[in-house]
Amino acid sequence: MLYREAGQFKTSYQADQAAFPIFQDQLAVWAILAVAFIGVPLVGNDFFLNSIMIPFLIFALASVGLNILTGYAGQLSLGTGAFMGVGAYACYKLTTIFPDVNIVIMIVASGFFSAGIGMIFGLPSLRIKGFYLVVTTLAAQFFLEWCFIRIAWLYNYNPSGAIEVPQREAFGVILTGASATPVTRYLLVLSIVVVMTWIAFNIIRGRIGRSWMMIRDMDIAAELMGVKPLNAKLSAFAVSSFYCGVAGAMMVFFWLGAAEVESFDVNHSFLILFMVILGGLGSIKGAFMGAAFIWILPILIRAAPGWIGIEVQAATVEHLNFMLIGGLIIFFLIIEPHGLARLWSIGKQKLRVWPFPY
Amino acid sequence: MNVHSQAAAAQSDDGIALGADLLHVDNISLSFGGVKAIQDVSFDIRKGEIRAIIGPNGAGKTSMLNVINGFYHPQEGIISFKGRERRRMRPYEAAAQGIARTFQNVALFTGMTTLENIMAGRSLKMHRNFFWQMLYRGPALNEEMEHRRVVEEIIDFLEIEAIRKTPVGQLPYGLQKRVELGRALAMEPTLLLLDEPMAGMNLEEKEDMSRYVLDVNSQLGTTIALIEHDMGVVMDLADRVMVLDYGKKIADGTPDEVQANQAVIDAYLGVPH
Ligand SMILES: Nc1ncnc2c1ncn2[C@@H]1O[C@H](COP(=O)(O)OP(=O)(O)OP(=O)(O)O)[C@@H](O)[C@H]1O
Ligand SMILES: [Mg+2]
Repeated sequence: MLYREAGQFKTSYQADQAAFPIFQDQLAVWAILAVAFIGVPLVGNDFFLNSIMIPFLIFALASVGLNILTGYAGQLSLGTGAFMGVGAYACYKLTTIFPDVNIVIMIVASGFFSAGIGMIFGLPSLRIKGFYLVVTTLAAQFFLEWCFIRIAWLYNYNPSGAIEVPQREAFGVILTGASATPVTRYLLVLSIVVVMTWIAFNIIRGRIGRSWMMIRDMDIAAELMGVKPLNAKLSAFAVSSFYCGVAGAMMVFFWLGAAEVESFDVNHSFLILFMVILGGLGSIKGAFMGAAFIWILPILIRAAPGWIGIEVQAATVEHLNFMLIGGLIIFFLIIEPHGLARLWSIGKQKLRVWPFPY
Repeated sequence: MNVHSQAAAAQSDDGIALGADLLHVDNISLSFGGVKAIQDVSFDIRKGEIRAIIGPNGAGKTSMLNVINGFYHPQEGIISFKGRERRRMRPYEAAAQGIARTFQNVALFTGMTTLENIMAGRSLKMHRNFFWQMLYRGPALNEEMEHRRVVEEIIDFLEIEAIRKTPVGQLPYGLQKRVELGRALAMEPTLLLLDEPMAGMNLEEKEDMSRYVLDVNSQLGTTIALIEHDMGVVMDLADRVMVLDYGKKIADGTPDEVQANQAVIDAYLGVPH
């Protein structure tokens, strides 16, 4: 009875087109933001911030990026890991060449590098579709991985082949490096993710997002409505890669602290793809749900037996985790391609009419 | 000239008087490998009229529409629209010049709602840049609302208010055809191409659709080219009828003339050539 839209008449198209037309939803969004910005830093310990929240947010942002390309524009990609890598290496080069520029600016700037690379590898999408496009993005993945190893300039000729995050400060606060506190890094990641998610939301409900969905659903009709496939596809590749690049840069600078090519391998491409599929293709909310599910579930599986006093071998936990995620992906692909996000909205619809069945 | 004023020029009144030639198709031939889909066909469409294209299955009707809006590039022949000649053009260029269409097998954006589908028809008229799109504020929001108003008028006109927020993939066939008409109307075309808009409809739906077609033609002044198998509908709606058979034009004239034409009767009765 609490979750109703009754009495909430939309008086303008603007109100109708708002991101969250139902008042209770707006309230929920503000509540989540308040908890995330105030509650979590207050009560969260270092483990919670470092191992759960920061990676969750970063992977959620990468999922938003891949969802733009795959869920909204309909172009499947297995190059996500590499595009994240482009952002990370770009950020590393930028901040070592210009150490005095604020690191947050460099993180955002590195997104433009992966956007550019993403556009180049998006060019084949103008000619080929589906399976063959997947193969070219896979080729991009391996080619970029090769670059991350062979072009020593990218990691400043470090003998270990890794990029190590230097300490960067702004306004007297240490933002990156070993001395940066988890709370600082968490708040930075959260702020960037919130702003970029809001922007993604805006793009998607406007002209450009529509042009992506038009190309996805019926490319010949889209062309007839005046949408140029070149513009729509390349802009989707660019925006998507921008998001992945920023996520990759944050992954190294605010989470891992150091990284080499393994952090951007094809397993990460699959990880993000699974988050998108599980959360729901074509849903920003789903990207967050999928990231939460896939990142947090294994941690729970690892911890849960301990709570009830059972000893389970680490290897068993890993197997259990693989089987669960694999089974769920198959379930969602077959039963509910719109993922957790759709289950969520079905649940909400039920709540709206509760206690009546219809 | 920048993109804006070009678009405006394409949309603005083209100075073609009612009843004068809007579209000219001269000696078009189109073949796919060995299949001759269109053979040396010439015809015209006059501004303000409803022009029907009829013919048995496989006669080349859909192919002709595909040639007009740039999906197919004929091997021979010239098309001139609004007095401008062209041999080759992309579908989005045809769209920019004011040609819209619906498809024989509905080609809606199935993952999008009715509202979004019709908004999609406004794509060419929306210009706010990426920066404003990112914010969804100021000029971008104003533009969005301005076009939303036009789209709501179309929704009212086609009486599809109730399915505004329904993903079109879930709609029954008759309604999908109606939404597709709405999407084409949203482009405010000079020339509207309708490929069997009433196929698969029951009598009541056909009557509704006929009424919409007539209203679009008379109230908005849109020139319409219509492919339709139902002779009754064609006779009621069309000002002039062209008949295709095996890729060739076999008759052209008023509905009465065409109906009385022996070649047409033979084609429809399947008299061997
Ligand atoms: N893309 C294509 N590739 C190969 N052949 C084609 C293609 N499009 C059309 N054709 C052929 O061209 C001929 C004319 O087809 P078209 O679709 O124009 O007929 P139509 O008059 O619209 O028929 P219908 O009433 O069945 O819709 C047919 O023989 C068809 O097989
Ligand atoms: Mg046809």
